Amino acid sequence: MTEEKFQEFLREAAQDYHRPPESPRAEIWQAIRQERRAQEAERARRAWRWQRRAFRSPVVRWGVGVAAALVIGIGIGRLMPRQAGQLVEGPDAEPAAEMAEPSAAYRYAANDHLGQVEMFLTAFRVDSRSGRPVADSPDEARQLLSTTRLLLDSPASDDAQMRTLLEDIELVLVQISQFEGPKGDEELDLIDDSMERRSVLLRLQTALTGQPGMAGVQGVL
Amino acid sequence: MIAGVRAGEPQAERALYDQHVDRVYRLAYRMAGDEDLARDFTQDAFIRAFEKIEQFRGEAALATWLRSIAVSVILNGLRKVKRLRQREVGLNAANAVGGGPSRAEPDLKQKLQGAIDALPDKYRMVFVMHDVEGYTHQEISEALGMQLGTSKAQLSRARAKLRESLAEFAGEWAS
Repeated sequence: MTEEKFQEFLREAAQDYHRPPESPRAEIWQAIRQERRAQEAERARRAWRWQRRAFRSPVVRWGVGVAAALVIGIGIGRLMPRQAGQLVEGPDAEPAAEMAEPSAAYRYAANDHLGQVEMFLTAFRVDSRSGRPVADSPDEARQLLSTTRLLLDSPASDDAQMRTLLEDIELVLVQISQFEGPKGDEELDLIDDSMERRSVLLRLQTALTGQPGMAGVQGVL
Repeated sequence: MIAGVRAGEPQAERALYDQHVDRVYRLAYRMAGDEDLARDFTQDAFIRAFEKIEQFRGEAALATWLRSIAVSVILNGLRKVKRLRQREVGLNAANAVGGGPSRAEPDLKQKLQGAIDALPDKYRMVFVMHDVEGYTHQEISEALGMQLGTSKAQLSRARAKLRESLAEFAGEWAS
């Protein structure tokens, strides 16, 4: 019995060792997609929680407050000399366009808020579609709702497009804040439908990519 | 295709998956001997590949890179399963009273299957990849991150262990 003969025998006999069936391609692919969607939602949720936690920290809040004050202060500071000059020059000057600049800080705040809403709604939609629990969502929606309403009452909503977007966000957030948990499959469909019909996420992403409010801020800074 | 996968395009991901899934699944099944486990290992291997595609620098072929991920997922997965099964066996042994039904002497095929199962996982991986699935030592060494010589040595040791386990059937391959 030579080593070669044994190896030959082994190679042949071992073909039956755990002989695999045809690979279930479609099933595995579906499982991969599901798992990746769940991971995506988890990442969005974590980012959202991190941002919320960070904003709760007094250091960050003070930081944001100081930054906002600086933005407004510098903006006003830049406008003041021109207005003074215009007073000397006489009534022909047109200060109206320049006077719009102070709302840049509000637009900055609005953009920051839109970013948070986008993360929250993305996580909510992926969770609800994949049947994962959305128990914390009503509380989070209520918090975002109060900021949305503040912004609606602020100069940030002077811009018609921003106002419409904020109003649609308000509507969706109201629906989520009233969501009653495990029995609410129909409710979830309504919320989903509401988001789809108004293209809320798409418009949020467009607004954030375009960052129209940021242009004003950069101009002030 | 790789650029598409990097950009997160589902079509590119699907194309990569279609191109490689059969070989990954075959290896996973050969090592696990169980449909569910093979499915889980294949799934995990692709998820990890999609997540880590940024790290693929194109120095090796995509198939080689993917195979090394699959091998690592399979070996880690088997380690976890073994730990769980050992715990279960421990519990069952504690609960068992008296001996079980006596089993007939296994035939050569069963004995070979048992002997391959009893190999350490790394030896078994080398043996399965080379003698069963037909990979070269070059491919095996790249997938397992070892020297070419180590792959050859491990195959030789695996065969020696199998020969030892099958000694009572020596006549069958000598004839």
